[in-house]
Amino acid sequence: MNARYFVRKLSTLVVTLFLTVSFNFLLFHVLPGSPVQLLARSGHYDAAAKASLTKLFGLNHGLLTQYFIYLKNMVQGDLGFSYTYRKPVTTVLGAAVGNTVLLVGTATAITVFIGIWLGVKAASRANSLTDTAITVTSLTLWSMPDFFTGMILIFAAGVWTHVLPISGIETPGLTVGWLGHLLDIAKHLILPALTLMLVNAAEFSLITRNAMVDVMVDDYMVTARAKGVAKKVIVWHHALRNALLPIVTATALYVGMVLGGAIQVETVFSWPGMGLLIYNSVEQRDYPVLEGCFLLFAIAVIATNFISDILYQVLDARVRNN
Amino acid sequence: MNKKVEALQAQGISRRQFLTIGAASAGAVGIAALSGPVQSAGATTSSAQRILRVGWTTPPDLLNPFTFTSSASFEIVSLMYDTLLEYDVNLKSSAGLAQSHTVSADGKTFTYKLRSNATWHDGKPVTAADVKFTFDTTAKNNLGQAAWSLGEYLSSRVVDTHTVAITYKKPQAFDPALAVFIVPQHIWGSMSSSQIQSNTNPKPVGSGPYRFKKWATGQYVQVVRNASWWGVAPHAAGIIWNEFANADVMTQSLASGSVDILTEVPAVLWNGLKSKPGVKAAEMESFSFHHIGFNVSKAKTSKGNSLLLDKTVRQALSYSLNRAQLVALALAGHGLPGSVQLPPSFGDWHENIPKNQRFDNNPAKAKKILAKAGYKVGSNGIRVDKHGKPLQFRLIVIQTTDEDVLAGQIFVKAAKAVGISLTLETLDSTTLGNIVYNSAAPDWDIFIWGWDANNPDPDYLLSIDLTSQIGGNNDVFYSNPAYDALYAQQAVAMNRTERINLVHQAQKMFYEDAAYCVMWYQSKLQAYRTDTWQGWKEIRGGAVYNFTRSNYLTVKPK
Amino acid sequence: MNDDVLRVEGREGETAPSSNRPGVWREVWRDTMGRVGILTLLGILVTIFLGPVIFPFDGQSFGASATSILQAPTGSHWMGTTELGQDVFRQFLLGGRISLYVGVSATVIAMVLGAGLGLVSGYYAGWRDTVLMRITDFFLVLPTLPLIIVLAALFGQSILITSLVIGLTSWPQTARIIRSQVLSLRERPLVMRVRSLGAGDWRIMSRHILPNVTPLIFANLVLVLSGSILAQAALAFLGLGDPVQVSWGTMLHNAFNSGAMSSGAWWYTLTPGVGIVIMVLAFSLIGHALDRVMNPLRRGAR
Repeated sequence: MNARYFVRKLSTLVVTLFLTVSFNFLLFHVLPGSPVQLLARSGHYDAAAKASLTKLFGLNHGLLTQYFIYLKNMVQGDLGFSYTYRKPVTTVLGAAVGNTVLLVGTATAITVFIGIWLGVKAASRANSLTDTAITVTSLTLWSMPDFFTGMILIFAAGVWTHVLPISGIETPGLTVGWLGHLLDIAKHLILPALTLMLVNAAEFSLITRNAMVDVMVDDYMVTARAKGVAKKVIVWHHALRNALLPIVTATALYVGMVLGGAIQVETVFSWPGMGLLIYNSVEQRDYPVLEGCFLLFAIAVIATNFISDILYQVLDARVRNN
Repeated sequence: MNKKVEALQAQGISRRQFLTIGAASAGAVGIAALSGPVQSAGATTSSAQRILRVGWTTPPDLLNPFTFTSSASFEIVSLMYDTLLEYDVNLKSSAGLAQSHTVSADGKTFTYKLRSNATWHDGKPVTAADVKFTFDTTAKNNLGQAAWSLGEYLSSRVVDTHTVAITYKKPQAFDPALAVFIVPQHIWGSMSSSQIQSNTNPKPVGSGPYRFKKWATGQYVQVVRNASWWGVAPHAAGIIWNEFANADVMTQSLASGSVDILTEVPAVLWNGLKSKPGVKAAEMESFSFHHIGFNVSKAKTSKGNSLLLDKTVRQALSYSLNRAQLVALALAGHGLPGSVQLPPSFGDWHENIPKNQRFDNNPAKAKKILAKAGYKVGSNGIRVDKHGKPLQFRLIVIQTTDEDVLAGQIFVKAAKAVGISLTLETLDSTTLGNIVYNSAAPDWDIFIWGWDANNPDPDYLLSIDLTSQIGGNNDVFYSNPAYDALYAQQAVAMNRTERINLVHQAQKMFYEDAAYCVMWYQSKLQAYRTDTWQGWKEIRGGAVYNFTRSNYLTVKPK
Repeated sequence: MNDDVLRVEGREGETAPSSNRPGVWREVWRDTMGRVGILTLLGILVTIFLGPVIFPFDGQSFGASATSILQAPTGSHWMGTTELGQDVFRQFLLGGRISLYVGVSATVIAMVLGAGLGLVSGYYAGWRDTVLMRITDFFLVLPTLPLIIVLAALFGQSILITSLVIGLTSWPQTARIIRSQVLSLRERPLVMRVRSLGAGDWRIMSRHILPNVTPLIFANLVLVLSGSILAQAALAFLGLGDPVQVSWGTMLHNAFNSGAMSSGAWWYTLTPGVGIVIMVLAFSLIGHALDRVMNPLRRGAR
């Protein structure tokens, strides 16, 4: 990878981020109606109280001024003020981000391994019964909406057996040591993580299979096989290494997808992450929080894309050198 | 709770921390799967340390006693803070932070004697100065839920450390001491009005039976027993209000024993709980109603259909509806058909309109009064007025309130049967609120929404549709000087019988004018476990999630 | 931003597939998965288009009393009743139409935009290409479902708006793929020769480029269609569906929120859920088969 490439990608990254931030602002500030009006229904506020709320939410300026204030605040790490919680959006997001990272991180780590393994299995015996079975199962799982898979798991684990917790991240008020607490969280993690894994491992296995099959017919693979190199070595060593390139790219796309899945899964399992926050903010029309969530999601995807681009170059160079 | 996770949730996350935790929990998954059924926090500890676990789907918004708006916040705040007087288990006024009080002969001055052993959670004593500060601040800045009751507030006087005299411009039939949460001056006194408003009150310090412990946003709020509270110590060592994203999952958690009581259960799920062992499904009256509101704004700028200004049209629409059917379907039978704006739970304050005088389930009558008023059936079955303007209105409903959407669909059908055309549109609650409350130029015809009383006193629900509340709570822009006068009279009537009479007249007048078409009074459907706590009292308004905190203070572990 | 995405989805620079479309479909039909997909799809189409004619659903007729709520399947209600006492089976038949309607209209929007921009961008190259591709890249990196949710929350829930929102967020991938195909097509000797003979841009595009990218558009269309149906279901499930035009997603939303699951009303949850899975699976199978047909190598080495 050369420095010029890196700089070019980095500048694209900066421009994309700036556009995203502006797009985000535009989306949320062209709306009619005022949140203060609704608070007034239950709060019995007079004009002065309403004015001070308006000021609190920074709605007392023109649109352009609001935009510059928004940019300035964002640079300072200030994402605005939640209508519902009357706390800085960053505080509201803070707790949720960690929970989502825990859920999505765990699910992804396992998903990648299982997905790649299944994909390689399918590809190494292309068109065999195993391949067909894996492919059809993957396609079926991929066709299931994440929330529907979650509902079925809730029903199976929660209603029939009562074995696993079906809601939340922990048992509130549990007075046990840190290990017990960790176990408690882990237990709550199983069903939502499994839901995400089922859907996304399917996607990964399909991508890996196709990438592998593409690679396996390359000339040098055919040559290697003709030379009598063991099939296992070819598949796991040579082919997978080459197929890694498209898989890396796929991971970048995957992040966007898994975040979409997380919204559904967190809603079904009351997992207190960004997804549930989005769901609640949509219900309460807490636009500053929604705005913050969307921005974070976008940044996560943009950043992953950037990293995967760089990683691609590095891997590509190494593959070519080999 | 594990410090690391706590820190992580409080301030976001450092990468390294996450990796440790993530790896540990990934490893723990295997072990956890083998470790058997879900443990419940409450059931395993000794009875003196037992925590009462409440489940709800309605998250609290703020724990600032001046600015919270949700019922969930009220529930929590009312256990951390005290009011001078409070509602007992029969929803009667009883002693609170004030052990006794006297009312002057003119009904304008109320003198309260505070409990001498009352302290704030930080150990400082509760004094008359705190009370004066709270009333002054609330009234001056028109702050929060209690402000409506302080419209006639004049001043407070500290008589001695534990005695305070509060004076109003007019006699007060409703004593605001029941509504105002007393806050410590030494914490709030130095704040400006806007600081008070924007204060999230992260560590609430009150004088109530429970102290704040923890609020995990989106998950739960936890409070612990205040050992130095002035009253009889409650049995629960702590209370946890557990937030669920979904009522179904919440109901299953009650059935499996991981919560003890649910504040609100949807009808279908409630029916399912009736047969569950160890669970009591309780149906109680509520202080709420859902209504159809007609835009009766007389403002020139109103963009509502002016045909709704004709009382006959509104009454005809009311006649067209079969409220018994609405209750059977939208509420699965758990409620009563609606009439006046004070639900029957108000007891003798509620005006009982005789069945034969109600605007209910009488399409024939609807057609008759419309025909008599000159609305003839047009070619497409829709009636038109003398100028040929069709009786055609827009109907807006909050899309997430399923029973209202259903009611809307039924209403459209019923109205059509008497020759009135309605077009139903569903909106999110914020948008609907913004449209309805656009008092300068309201651009809507009919909505479906609801009201909860914030008090078992009739004053609040009667005050909603005052002329002076246009721009405030008045959601239909109803304005009737005669009604305003009746309201003003009852507000100062210190004689209960006299006041009841006035309240009845006001309800009747408002009912005749049909600016609201109250559809139903829904039941409060709750459910609790019978094997964890005992002594639950079923009260009108709910065992919990009500105006009284008495159940929280009296239930015993089993 | 990420040209390399195409190596997974777009197969940049491969030889153009046969423009002989009946041939492609015959091949798909020969593929077992493809045939199963096509047959399933036909079955679904017959069910949701003929079904509501035979078993009409009256959205405004509700159960007569509280006992008609969440009834288990019976002779008169084949799939039981909803929490409002409505017939699940009839609602299911009509709901499929809504799901498909949103999926198809969103896809049409995405395809017109994606293929159009891809064609223009790839054909003209130069600054037009640069500008269009910057825009495409920008939308490509925005997380789709969160964006759809935000847009639906901001602009409304009618099925028209839902279709628009999904369509307007699902085109960038297609634009990318079509563009790279067109880039390689325009350098082909035949196209160069026609151009040197003085053929206009429009003529070259419609006669020589478009037919060659059509199979690619179709392969993409199937993917986008699956994605759109799933996106609509997710939106409806999250409470952002059109409550009047009940889709399968809305049914699942209602089932979940009314507590059908813990009341044991499996018929209410499974019926629309399985409907979505089968519909999406049918498209996925066809897509998979198309993919194999167009990339013969994918059929695997022995």
